Amino acid sequence: MTVAQPTANVHHSEPSRLRKFWSGVSVVFTSKIATVGLIIVLFWFIIGLVSFFWTPYPPNSSLFAQNLYPNSVNWLGTDHLGRDIASRLMAGTQVILLKTRVPGDSGWIIPGGVALWGVFGALVVGAFLGLNAAYRGGWWDQGIMQVLDAMVAFPAIVLYLVIITALEQGDFVVIFAITVTGAPGVARLVRSLALDIKTRDYIRAAETRGEKASYIMFREILPNARGPILVDAMLRVGYAIFMIGTLGFLGIGLPPPDPDWGNMVNEARRFIFLNAWAPFPPSIAIASLVIGLNLFADGMREELTRYQK
Amino acid sequence: MLVRDCMTRHPILISPKTPAAEAQRIMAENRIRHLPVAGSGKRLLGLITRQRLAMKPDDLASLNVWEITRRLSNLIAEKIMLPAARVRTIEPEKTVERAASLMTDYRIGCLPVMEENVVVGIITETDLLRAFQVMLGIQGEGVRVTVNMPDKRGEFAKLMRVIVDRNWGVVGVGTFPNARRDGYYFAVVKISNVTLDEVRDAIGGIESQEITDIRTIV
Amino acid sequence: MEALLDQTTMTSSAGPGPVLKVENVAVAYKVRGGEILAVQNVSFEINRGESHGIVGESGCGKSTVAWAIVNFLGANGYVKHGSIKFLGQELVGKSGEELRRLRGDQIAMVYQDPMQALNPSMRLGDQMKEVLTVHRGMSDADATKRCIEMLERVHMPDAANVMKRYPHQISGGQQQRVVIAMALLNNPAMLIMDEPTTALDVTVEAAVLDLIGELRREFDTAIMYITHNLGVVARVCTQVGVMYAGEMVERGQVAQIFKAPQHPYTQGLMRCVPKLGADKASSLLYPIIGRVPPPDSRPLGCVFGPRCDYAQDRCGEEHPRLRMLPSGVQVRCHFAEEIDPAQWTPPPELELPPEPVGTGNGNGNGAGEEPILVVEGLKKYYTAASNSLKGMFGMGEKRYVKVVEDVSFTVKKGKTLGVVGESGCGKSTLIKTIIGLEESTGGEMRFLGFDITGDLSSRNKRLIQELQMVFQNPDSTMNPAYSVGQQIARPMIRFGTVPKRQVRDEVIRLLQAMRLGEAYYDRLPRQLSGGEKQRVGIARALASRPDLVLCDEPVSALDVSVQAAILNLLLDVQHEFETTMIFIAHDLSVVRFFSDDVAVMYLGQVMEIGPADAIYAPPYHPYTEALLSAVPIPDPAAKQKVIRLEGSVPSAMNPPSGCRFHTRCPRRHLLPDDGAICAQEIPPWQEGEDGHRIFCHIPLETLRTLDPVITQ
Repeated sequence: MTVAQPTANVHHSEPSRLRKFWSGVSVVFTSKIATVGLIIVLFWFIIGLVSFFWTPYPPNSSLFAQNLYPNSVNWLGTDHLGRDIASRLMAGTQVILLKTRVPGDSGWIIPGGVALWGVFGALVVGAFLGLNAAYRGGWWDQGIMQVLDAMVAFPAIVLYLVIITALEQGDFVVIFAITVTGAPGVARLVRSLALDIKTRDYIRAAETRGEKASYIMFREILPNARGPILVDAMLRVGYAIFMIGTLGFLGIGLPPPDPDWGNMVNEARRFIFLNAWAPFPPSIAIASLVIGLNLFADGMREELTRYQK
Repeated sequence: MLVRDCMTRHPILISPKTPAAEAQRIMAENRIRHLPVAGSGKRLLGLITRQRLAMKPDDLASLNVWEITRRLSNLIAEKIMLPAARVRTIEPEKTVERAASLMTDYRIGCLPVMEENVVVGIITETDLLRAFQVMLGIQGEGVRVTVNMPDKRGEFAKLMRVIVDRNWGVVGVGTFPNARRDGYYFAVVKISNVTLDEVRDAIGGIESQEITDIRTIV
Repeated sequence: MEALLDQTTMTSSAGPGPVLKVENVAVAYKVRGGEILAVQNVSFEINRGESHGIVGESGCGKSTVAWAIVNFLGANGYVKHGSIKFLGQELVGKSGEELRRLRGDQIAMVYQDPMQALNPSMRLGDQMKEVLTVHRGMSDADATKRCIEMLERVHMPDAANVMKRYPHQISGGQQQRVVIAMALLNNPAMLIMDEPTTALDVTVEAAVLDLIGELRREFDTAIMYITHNLGVVARVCTQVGVMYAGEMVERGQVAQIFKAPQHPYTQGLMRCVPKLGADKASSLLYPIIGRVPPPDSRPLGCVFGPRCDYAQDRCGEEHPRLRMLPSGVQVRCHFAEEIDPAQWTPPPELELPPEPVGTGNGNGNGAGEEPILVVEGLKKYYTAASNSLKGMFGMGEKRYVKVVEDVSFTVKKGKTLGVVGESGCGKSTLIKTIIGLEESTGGEMRFLGFDITGDLSSRNKRLIQELQMVFQNPDSTMNPAYSVGQQIARPMIRFGTVPKRQVRDEVIRLLQAMRLGEAYYDRLPRQLSGGEKQRVGIARALASRPDLVLCDEPVSALDVSVQAAILNLLLDVQHEFETTMIFIAHDLSVVRFFSDDVAVMYLGQVMEIGPADAIYAPPYHPYTEALLSAVPIPDPAAKQKVIRLEGSVPSAMNPPSGCRFHTRCPRRHLLPDDGAICAQEIPPWQEGEDGHRIFCHIPLETLRTLDPVITQ
């Protein structure tokens, strides 16, 4: 109560854009948890970026003996085809975080990894459905939420299988799978936030101006739900990476031969008695990135909710 | 006047674990001489008075300096208090006279006021003295007259009739027997908004009664 | 045991020391990067049977003081220095366990929200009994008996039955009574009340305040009463301390402080509350300039210095001490003796505006007053969900909540209609129906000659533009995601009132009219204070240049000094833009001050309507009379009739037959048969002078003979 928000009166003069940006970013560093999370995530981003230009050895060529344990030449050993695991691990970051391959033989890529696009898709679809359900209410709400509930009730793995068998393997299919499975969760979150926000007086004010429903939903309500949605999205990126791993493990993930972590675990599993070491690096990579994103999201949640007051 | 009208409500209470030194400090700081000890729910456990805090010289004589210190630091209210079973108490619905007679009969300075085992107040000599003042109307201005009259039916009524006839306001009344003359008693009446002479003329004329003392009090 | 009187220790005739003695207390909160001193230099004491008010605006540290006493400061708050003595024993520096033992059940606290003290999942009786059975080991039967007695003591109707109910089954006023009864069960030496009536309606508040006064005398309890409302202090307190920016700036007997406030802040506070009976034509409100400094940037000298009309060099340099004046009032001001509030002159920009031609007060120049809004027999019903199986299939009889029933009035151009009534009387629904957020169920509404019975979707853009609204809650009136400028600009762009290129200039012009500078254009709502947000809300409503602005309690969530500024602003706006307004409020003095005409609503119906001065003088409708007698007046010398309504407002689902007020009417006995007619027939509209109409069976002649409620 009496502990007034000190930031409120500090800058009366117009801060520059850079300054504003920095004050936004610096929120991250006030939380130790978020800082640690950010460092882990940035680590993998940088690894991925570096891998575009340099990996110790070409990731897809069998240059070495098969199933080697870590040694001075191959830091993390080699896999069953004699490919360098360290190189593959680095390159595996790309498809998750940094690039999406357009199907066909064009070889074109879209910036942004499969996990990011998948979550983005889930956000767009989820926010649209959630906002409509909350703001319009009544039958809209009933209808949308029933459909989403039915989707949640359907086992996720089976859902992937159905989608992938229907559409063949490929990056876009994985994105689609992530979107479809993520959308109900996002929709629920957005709906609950919007239900609260729509009772505010500024929504009444917009209505008394005769604004269209779409304006109210996307311009008045959505920006105020931003914080929690962003935090949720970060967590979802973590889940999506898990999911890509799961799909890869089932052999229906991203198409070979380009490496991705899930596929690497899957392949290493088959030769686990020959090389017990091989599954570890990709598994640890998946786990650490997910933990990093979770920590970052948790830390941000703490800070964002504190700043909302 | 009943006990509840003149007691002190919400008295300072201490817990049985309060150190004796603390109890003494509380009594000194608040200038009080009695400290009820109460447990949870303000149930009376005992009473601490000045005497209870004083140590018998005999006890101390046998101890050396260190032992005295240790003994003092271990002393808590529970150990020095007069246990509740031996504390005389009174209920709020009793009369003030009853409280006064209890206190004089047992030569005690205070009575915790209890309602079903719970301390709701305390009545001390000070409270009684205050009640006495209120009864005699000490706080108000007026003429205070003492009349000596025979202990007979209707005597007091005669005095009152004189006052009623003149429509005077009485701020305090008290009566007590005349110790020097059997069969007579004194009535002290305090009347407001009158002069000394008016009172002397009016009351002095009453048959078989005489004014023994009259004064104006401001 | 004890021998005879020990003369030397004879206590003074004032009795034992105070129940609570707070000396020079400072409370600090540890925050990131240091600590914030929330409260400092606070000293006061409370004796048995005294009720000590603590007043001040929000953020002045009133509640912090209370929390320091009961050790609720939270993990990061602590008493930095000073002493708090409760019943002669020091509380500061004691451990939690010791504190619990010292305070034991001797301090009870009553909060603004009774639900904070009640467990929603337990029957009220069980919660109350627990106090006695756990602490005192009382038997269940005895405890029940005591609880019922106590509930009866706080005038709870049907006490035995209430014991069996859950908290949500009784009204807010009754909940607060239960909390008070529960607090008194232990016969505590001190009761801390933190805004206990702020959330209650005036008539309920009046009854609770009466109760508090009664209990204080009966139980000899020391009461610490925290409130922002000067009227409440005048009614229940014997002493009062005024807090400002974490310090106590003035303290003394209530009568003295209200008669002759010594500190400039106290004087300012008194000036910014409208007196009941004051109107905008003859009086002005004088807000205190500036705002309460946040705890981390308080001035070094006098904390009030920057806002003080009398500030001199010394005030900026030297921190004044709280000192005793000969009158017995303590004040923290260097120049208290030299300041004479009677000599105070308002700052030049705050002069009564000249009476504009054609908008005079009723008499004479009534010509040219065309009605801008005509409401005729307006009804708004909500359908209630039926519990029966039939109802689930839509076959059952439909039940309606009759929120607004048969309301008629007209609003004239450039005038203000005030609507008063307690919560649940339908005033907000009325406004929502007019503005089109709700569709009306029946009746006629014509605005500028156009039919507006439908909701917003059925109105065209021009019509929507002419009707705008100012909202109650400053914290939710603005969208936190957009800057002030963007939000004010939006209606201009939407309705095309201003060419695109001039929007920014127009917004800035409006901001200036709201006494906000251009610098506010790019600020975000979280950087604004409550009053500033409300100004922006008004600016947004005016941006489309509407003919009619509906104000839904625009000042009730604001501090008094800010409230005065906003009211003045609205008045200026009305003068400058000739805006017509409908003004809802529950504060009768504010409505009186602000409105030309007033409508009093009860349970969805208008009970009385007419020119403001006619409403506040006899003949009264019995309900208006009761409302007026309940208003806490910030003047302990004023005499007020005591009329208290029985029971609570009936449900709108099942309103009483005949006159809806008949179940609680204190004047029914004026009619033959104790007002049998009231329960049977709908009362007639009785016409008084100047369009004053009363909805009551009692003849105007009889009502006219009743005395005015308030006499000075």
